[in-house]
Amino acid sequence: MGSMFFGQYLLSKGAITREALIDAIERQRRTNLSLVEVAVQDGCLDPECAAGILTRYRTTDAGLEELCLEYGKISQEKLDELRRIQRSDWVRIGAALVASGHLTREQVEGHLAAFHGVQHEANQRLQADFRACNDPDTVKTIVELAVFHLKRFTNGPVKLQSLSKDEGGLSEGRRRYAQKLVGDREIFCALDLPSPVATVVAQGFIGIPVEDDSEVAIDAVCECVNIIGGHACTRLEANGFRLRPEPPFFTEGDEPAGESRSAVCAHVLAGDLEVDVRVFV
Amino acid sequence: MAKWRVMTVDDSAAILTIIAAYLEDSEFELVAAERDGVMAVERFAQERPDIVLLDLIMPGQSGVETLSRILAIDPDAFVVIVSSLGTEDAVHECLTSGARSFLQKPFTRDDFIDFMRDLTQVA
Repeated sequence: MGSMFFGQYLLSKGAITREALIDAIERQRRTNLSLVEVAVQDGCLDPECAAGILTRYRTTDAGLEELCLEYGKISQEKLDELRRIQRSDWVRIGAALVASGHLTREQVEGHLAAFHGVQHEANQRLQADFRACNDPDTVKTIVELAVFHLKRFTNGPVKLQSLSKDEGGLSEGRRRYAQKLVGDREIFCALDLPSPVATVVAQGFIGIPVEDDSEVAIDAVCECVNIIGGHACTRLEANGFRLRPEPPFFTEGDEPAGESRSAVCAHVLAGDLEVDVRVFV
Repeated sequence: MAKWRVMTVDDSAAILTIIAAYLEDSEFELVAAERDGVMAVERFAQERPDIVLLDLIMPGQSGVETLSRILAIDPDAFVVIVSSLGTEDAVHECLTSGARSFLQKPFTRDDFIDFMRDLTQVA
C-alpha cells in the first residue's frame, strides 16, 4: 500500500463507506478555510486582492504567508492572528467523521495509529524505490517538481503515493503530455492524465475555464510539462548535467515506451484525482 | 503618451493567451502574436515592434535562430527571451546571441508587468 490520505485509507480498509467520506469532506469544505479566505472573512483583505494572491501562489514558488505579507500588506502580527483563527476552526477528516456520526473518537484514534504506521512504511518504501531507480537523482528531481507544480496548478493537496517500474505504456483512459530533455543524456518526462484532470490542470494554469480536450486545454497542459521539464534542466545543471528541453508534445499513443528505456511511473493523488508522472531515462 | 508596441512569439497558445491578458490595460500594446519562428520574422519585418518576447524552445525554427534572423533585419531590435529553461548555458547563449534580457516561466501578471516596465528603462 502506498502513501495516501487518511480518508482514503479508511475507505480502503472498509472502515467507512464512500458516502461517509464524501459527507466528511463536504463538512470540512464548509469549515476549513485557507489563510486567504480567513483574511477575507476577517475583512483585512479584499476579494480582488485575495484572487491576486491565489493566482500568484499558483504560478510562482512563493508561499501563501509570504504573499499575504507582501502583496496583501498584512502585518506579521495580523498574520499570526489569522493563523490562530484558521487553526481553531480547522476540522481534520477524523474529527469530521466523528462529528457526522460515522465513527467514534476511539475508532478514529485506533485507525489513525495504524495509518501512521502504514504511512511511515510507505515513505520508507518510496525513498527505497527512488534509490532503486536508474539515475535516482534525475527521477526524484522530475517527480518532485511535478508534484510541486501540480499542487500549484490544481490549488489543492497533492501526494506522491508510490513508484513503480514498467514498460511505460499509457493506461486506459489517459493521454500523455510529454517532453524530451536532451544534451548530456536523453530523458523524457510525462504527465499521463484523464481528460477531466487535464482540464483542472489547464484551468489552474491559465486561470480561465477551458473545455475538456480543447486545443487550449491540451496546449496549456503541454506548457505545464514544459515548465516541469525546463525547471528540471535548470535544477539538474547543479549536478553537472547540461540538458535542454525540446518542445513538449501531446499523444494518445505510448511514445516513448518501447524504446528500451527504463521507465518509472510515479502515482500521484491530486485531491481525489489520480495522475501518473512518468520519467523515461 | 504612445504605448510600447509588443510582439510575442511562443508555440504555446496558452502562453500567448496569458501574455495578451497581462498586457491588457497596461502601457503596452500587443501588435502581433505568432506561434512559429519563421512567421515571427516576417511579422517583425512588417510591424517593427519596440519589444519582442520570444520563446526559446519551439518546433522548427528555434528561438535562437529566430533571434538571429530578427537581428539580421534590425540589429537594434529589442528581443527578450521567455523560457521555462533557466540554465546558465541557456541564458548565456541567448544573451551572447543578442537577446537583451531573459524571463523565466512561469510568472504572474505583476511580475511580468514589473519586468516589462524595467525593460522600458533601457529599451
